Amino acid sequence: MRQAAKATRQLAGAAALAFGTYLFISLLLLTVAGTVVIVGIGMVPMTTLLVRQFAGTKRRNVAEWTGHKIPEMYLPIDGPLRHSLRAVVRDPSTYADLRWMLAYYGYGALGYLSVPLWLVGLPVDGVRCGLLGRKALVLPQIGHLADLDARWSEALLRPSRKALLVERVEELTQTRAGAIAAHAAELRRIERDLHDGTQARLVALSMRIGLAKRMYDSDPKAARTLLDDAQDQAEHALTELRHVVRGIHPPILTDRGLAGAVRALAAGSVLAVSVDTDSVDTGPRAPAAVESAAYFVVAEALTNAMKHSGAGRAEVVLTCTERGLRLVVRDEGRGGAEIPRVGPGTEPGGSGLLGMHRRVAALDGTLTVTSPAGGPTIIEAELPCVW
Amino acid sequence: MRVVIAEDNALLREGLVLLLTSAGHEVAAVAGTGPEVLPALLKHRPDAAVLDVRMPPGFRDEGLRAALDARKEIPGLPVLVLSQYVEQSYAAELLGGGASGVGYLLKDRVGRVDEFLEALERVAAGGTALDPEVVTELLTRRGNTPLDLLTPREREVLGLMAEGHDNATIAKSLFVSERVVSKHIGNVFLKLDLPQSDSGHRRVLAVLAYLNGT
Repeated sequence: MRQAAKATRQLAGAAALAFGTYLFISLLLLTVAGTVVIVGIGMVPMTTLLVRQFAGTKRRNVAEWTGHKIPEMYLPIDGPLRHSLRAVVRDPSTYADLRWMLAYYGYGALGYLSVPLWLVGLPVDGVRCGLLGRKALVLPQIGHLADLDARWSEALLRPSRKALLVERVEELTQTRAGAIAAHAAELRRIERDLHDGTQARLVALSMRIGLAKRMYDSDPKAARTLLDDAQDQAEHALTELRHVVRGIHPPILTDRGLAGAVRALAAGSVLAVSVDTDSVDTGPRAPAAVESAAYFVVAEALTNAMKHSGAGRAEVVLTCTERGLRLVVRDEGRGGAEIPRVGPGTEPGGSGLLGMHRRVAALDGTLTVTSPAGGPTIIEAELPCVW
Repeated sequence: MRVVIAEDNALLREGLVLLLTSAGHEVAAVAGTGPEVLPALLKHRPDAAVLDVRMPPGFRDEGLRAALDARKEIPGLPVLVLSQYVEQSYAAELLGGGASGVGYLLKDRVGRVDEFLEALERVAAGGTALDPEVVTELLTRRGNTPLDLLTPREREVLGLMAEGHDNATIAKSLFVSERVVSKHIGNVFLKLDLPQSDSGHRRVLAVLAYLNGT
């Protein structure tokens, strides 16, 4: 009885949705007619979004009944009309949704069948269960109806292989663009560091030597001071050069491997950093790009923790998983960190977190930042690689 | 002379001030960002301006832009532009408004203090100071021109002329007499079919116009 009631609720939802679909299909036909006379073409993206709403509601409705989610795969519809029209046409889900909707025009009626089933089932099953002590016969059919509705809907609403591929291509296009932008930003940063840092130091150094030469005869004492200055400048220039080189590819990665390099980072941090790299120590080494990105993420995360979190200590865990390298940096600071939204106007490079995200995404990895206000901040990166 | 400096790097700014004051010049103002440059020049009307090409906020060519704008506001204002790398188009833009009182040098040259100060004085006096690297590029850019007719020595002389030096300096740097230099210059002008002119500023203009034009 309770089972039948639940199925009825489920079917009632389905029936309501079916009714909405009837109304909507009329609207859809209107849009199609409108589109034919061009005027309505602006309505297409809107209508598609509405179709998605319907399909989404049905997906949730089915998921409630079956207990497992039906994944959604849509290309984003935004931007100028031409752009969004292209997304509508290119997205295989648009056609899948329409197919479902048309089919639902028919099988949506299943929901209404529950009404006569109740009417027949109550007296029949009442007699069977109450008087004859047999199993209910009619009311369980309502559950079967809901099952059928769910099965058909799932088959129609599940993203097709093609949709999955389109989604994947979209993702790859984006990460590739991200990788190129990150690369360009890196080059710009290196160029700036070399020009404004090292080169400026060397010019200043050369200037001091020049002045010292000028004063050599007239004022040997001043010349000596200038030469001392010049030597300082030369040493500073060397230090800066080392920093720049470390930013390009940390030499310690070559020398000590990732685990050693991360331990060196931890030792060099003002925070008390505990490092767990056990599974990385023994396994084979990850590809250079992966090690480099992992090192970069740890370095950035520790810098952020030092600058912003107010925490006194942090924790780094590196793990080899079956699918790649996993790293977690955690601090008990004040939290509130988030990756800024990436838009077309975002300055490449951006904040530390954005840089991390780009660097990880470029390798097809994922970066998750959990940082509720009040802490803790947990930065987690998965970098896929083959061992 | 009174000089306005535009340089964002504190280290170089301080170095330039030290260098100029030690040579007896007065630093009227120092600008650290692009937008500060023009107002400083308009306010102080210096005898010369020393400008860095790349300045904040954009770190592109704000210094160069400021130099060009300033020369529009104050015609003939001597500007010496310092660059981290040689960019032919920057030099061309600067010289485009007339080469009188214009200098374009690599920052590295500042270390040769005497030569740098000499270049600055030349620019302040309405002359030209072009970085040897710019001149080398101008001279080697294209093949099969009358330039190929020049002897190596004549090319050297032409290069030094293009950098903005006068006969006396050319003679000194080539370790020859001024008479020999005059002879070389005569040959250069003949071979390039340029009108003979005195050793003054017009000659530099003719040479640069030729090198930029061919």
